[in-house]
Amino acid sequence: MDHARKIDGADGGAGGAADGPRAPDGCAGGVGRRDFLAGVLKLAGGAFVIVAGGAGLASTGEAAAKPGEGYDWNEHRYAYLVDTEKCIGCGSCVRACRAENDVPDDFYRTWVERYVVGLDGSKVDSPRGGIDGFPPEQTAFTPTKAFFVPKICNHCTETPCIQVCPVGASYRTRDGVVLVDGERCIGCGYCVQACPYGSRFLSPRTHTAEKCTWCYHRITKGLKPACVEVCPTGTRQFGDLRRADDPVRLAIERERVQILQPHLLTEPNCYYLHLDKEVR
Amino acid sequence: MEHARHVFRAALVLAVATAVVFLGRSLLVPRSYGDYGPYRADNVAEQARVRAPRHGGPASCAGCHAKQAEVRAAGSHKTVSCEVCHAPLAVHVDGTAVKGKMPVDRSFTLCARCHRRIAGRPEKFKQVVLEQHVQGPLESGACLECHDPHSPKL
Repeated sequence: MDHARKIDGADGGAGGAADGPRAPDGCAGGVGRRDFLAGVLKLAGGAFVIVAGGAGLASTGEAAAKPGEGYDWNEHRYAYLVDTEKCIGCGSCVRACRAENDVPDDFYRTWVERYVVGLDGSKVDSPRGGIDGFPPEQTAFTPTKAFFVPKICNHCTETPCIQVCPVGASYRTRDGVVLVDGERCIGCGYCVQACPYGSRFLSPRTHTAEKCTWCYHRITKGLKPACVEVCPTGTRQFGDLRRADDPVRLAIERERVQILQPHLLTEPNCYYLHLDKEVR
Repeated sequence: MEHARHVFRAALVLAVATAVVFLGRSLLVPRSYGDYGPYRADNVAEQARVRAPRHGGPASCAGCHAKQAEVRAAGSHKTVSCEVCHAPLAVHVDGTAVKGKMPVDRSFTLCARCHRRIAGRPEKFKQVVLEQHVQGPLESGACLECHDPHSPKL
């Protein structure tokens, strides 16, 4: 009976265009090709969900990672504070960063900018990142105010740089530090372009992205980043938001602090005191 | 019977494809990738021990150079870490063994980096116009003839 109907359907192919080519719905107790393929797809989908779900469960069940001996990254959430009124532009921080992190020549993980501002204009300079300090300044306009602004990776909570990394080399640790895995980085430079603060560069030595790590090898041992360690005026401060009595946390909680380029919604973790409107 | 063979063939192809995907994935994806997010979790520990800290802070100098440390701590350069003018601790010592000579910069540029009067420095901060402040040529050691760098106030 079924067999006869199938042949009928095939014969009336021209006339039955409206209902399209129809698969045989069962021949001699077997399974039709369409049913079979649909079944296989469902089965494969189900198997994939089970396997993927299992893998996901396995990974979340792992023990807490320990970046260093006796260091738990869940107990820290770092923040950086810059008081621009105190900076004298000596460049000690830039030199210390270079010495501590072996930063390639002519590249900077931190730098100092000088703003000279008048009613008729403004000028920003940062000769060699301020590593040798600053020379006297000549401007075409009459300056009414001038100040230094140290810059560094903002270690944003909503990072543009991590989002664009195609290989998962950029990431943010649980203690709030944005790092680059040099082993995974393919040096495509997307993150360098994505960072609105210019904090990243491609190292001429490794050809991978490099940036400030807040001296992760120091802070995980309870030390301060090198730039903070050498700052003679207390312009640069480093703190832990998980500690209730931390001076940086208190300053962020109680003072009028600012962040760089807030309109980009990157949620920086570098806070600035006494920042001028000219600073980007 | 023939249908069973078809099913078997298709199932075999599916099984092989699945095996290839999982084998390839296990070879290409690093072991700790995805433990905490889309990154290699082992890198966190690697970054923490990427190198030994090179700056030791003033306390690490005071162990051997107690006299200078005392003078510095009592003077107006008390907030200036030793390593600002000298060099990182790692240049000088390795653990407790002396590794190399600590550089001593006696040039006026060392002082000028902080104390030369230029636009941008806070008004309250001690600054000098070098040409007015120093009589004679600006040569190496000019500042140190009058000032002790560890306690510069006269």
